[in-house]
Amino acid sequence: MTALLSIARLRKRHGEHTLLDLADFAIEAGSATVLTGVNGAGKSTLLRILCGLESAEIEEVRFFGQVQRMAPFPVTMRRAIGYVHQHPMMFATSVAENIAYGLRASGAPRAEIDARVDEAVAWAGVAHLRERHAPLLSGGEKQRVALARARVLQPQLLLLDEPTANLDGAAREAVIALIPTLIAAGSSVVMACHDRDLIGLPGVQRWKLRDGRIEYR
Amino acid sequence: MSLSNALHDALILLLSGDAALWHIIWVSLKTTGIALLLATPPAVVLGYGLARGEFRGRRVLIWLAQATLAVPTVLIGLLLYLMLSRQGPLGGLHWLFAQPGIIAGQVLIAVPVLLAFTLAAVQAIDVRLAETALSLGAGRWRVMLTVLREARFGVMAAVITGFGRVISEVGCAMMVGGNIEGATRTMTTAIALETSKGQFAQGIALGIVLIVLALLINAGLMLAQGDDRLRGRV
Repeated sequence: MTALLSIARLRKRHGEHTLLDLADFAIEAGSATVLTGVNGAGKSTLLRILCGLESAEIEEVRFFGQVQRMAPFPVTMRRAIGYVHQHPMMFATSVAENIAYGLRASGAPRAEIDARVDEAVAWAGVAHLRERHAPLLSGGEKQRVALARARVLQPQLLLLDEPTANLDGAAREAVIALIPTLIAAGSSVVMACHDRDLIGLPGVQRWKLRDGRIEYR
Repeated sequence: MSLSNALHDALILLLSGDAALWHIIWVSLKTTGIALLLATPPAVVLGYGLARGEFRGRRVLIWLAQATLAVPTVLIGLLLYLMLSRQGPLGGLHWLFAQPGIIAGQVLIAVPVLLAFTLAAVQAIDVRLAETALSLGAGRWRVMLTVLREARFGVMAAVITGFGRVISEVGCAMMVGGNIEGATRTMTTAIALETSKGQFAQGIALGIVLIVLALLINAGLMLAQGDDRLRGRV
């Protein structure tokens, strides 16, 4: 089986300090992985490297078996990999326009954008917030809009950085309820998190980052 | 002439539609408008590039851009005069003592202001915004437009400050334009000339126009900001 993304030797240094020094690893298509580790272990950095927001020394990257050059970050990978930040930024416009942003960037037709945004807001349970000004939403609502905004692009790999961090109560539960549906829809998902409920989701493999290396659990 | 008499005569000049006075106002607005149209796009793009770019020499360029804010406009006028004079490298353009010469000077004066203010406005925007746009598949230009949209009030302030600096400038317009009546006489050069002749009415009339313009433009910016605040969009 060809891995969705396979990486041979990834190293990330900050000055003299080596933050990550990973041997070969791969993310399989349709898999769900939780990335754990103490604060500062490099979880967020690894996700940011995988979606092209940070550079690293990498011996070889294969995306669906094809060798890729990482600088500049390949357009095929940019389109196929979604990333949701721990504290999602909302554009200063409506929820619907936020979700439509990536579709507009890809040049999707207007009718298709409208239909997919309708489906996305319903999936995330934010249909009632559709016309609200996104920056004014609560933390949990922003997280759900950010998930919908990434999911609407139908990424093959979705990277979630602490999706439930700083959320509590119903907001956290609402986000946790969305994750299995992402996995069930066929996207590979990699989550950096400490949340026991996410770590304990069925079918989720666990990678622990320690001393710059991955320990498979 | 007393101040009250001068003010009275100034208002008469303005309200009577004095052709010479309104032509001077038209020349000022026209040259300033064209200069801003020419200067704003490249200055905003450069300001964005300096704020967000990662390249060798970036800090030196920021230092130079900010330092040019302090260059006296009369020095820009002198340099431009030498460039545009008959023996100068750009003498063949015949822009000296013509409106294109004034516009060229105004562009040179406006660019550093626009650039420095845009730079500051973009630097104030959270970098995660550009990262979000990038991770959603936006290309470089769309990312830039997204960030500039978020920084729009800062960019609008840049344009207004640039407008203020250019329309109130006298040294460069005097040297390069020559203050020729009916051709290159602007509001500021006219005020300087009329005052030197002891005729204050026209100078006061033009001063009133400059003040009204400043008030109107800033009111426009405040209304735009206030409107967004009312909708919770700031």
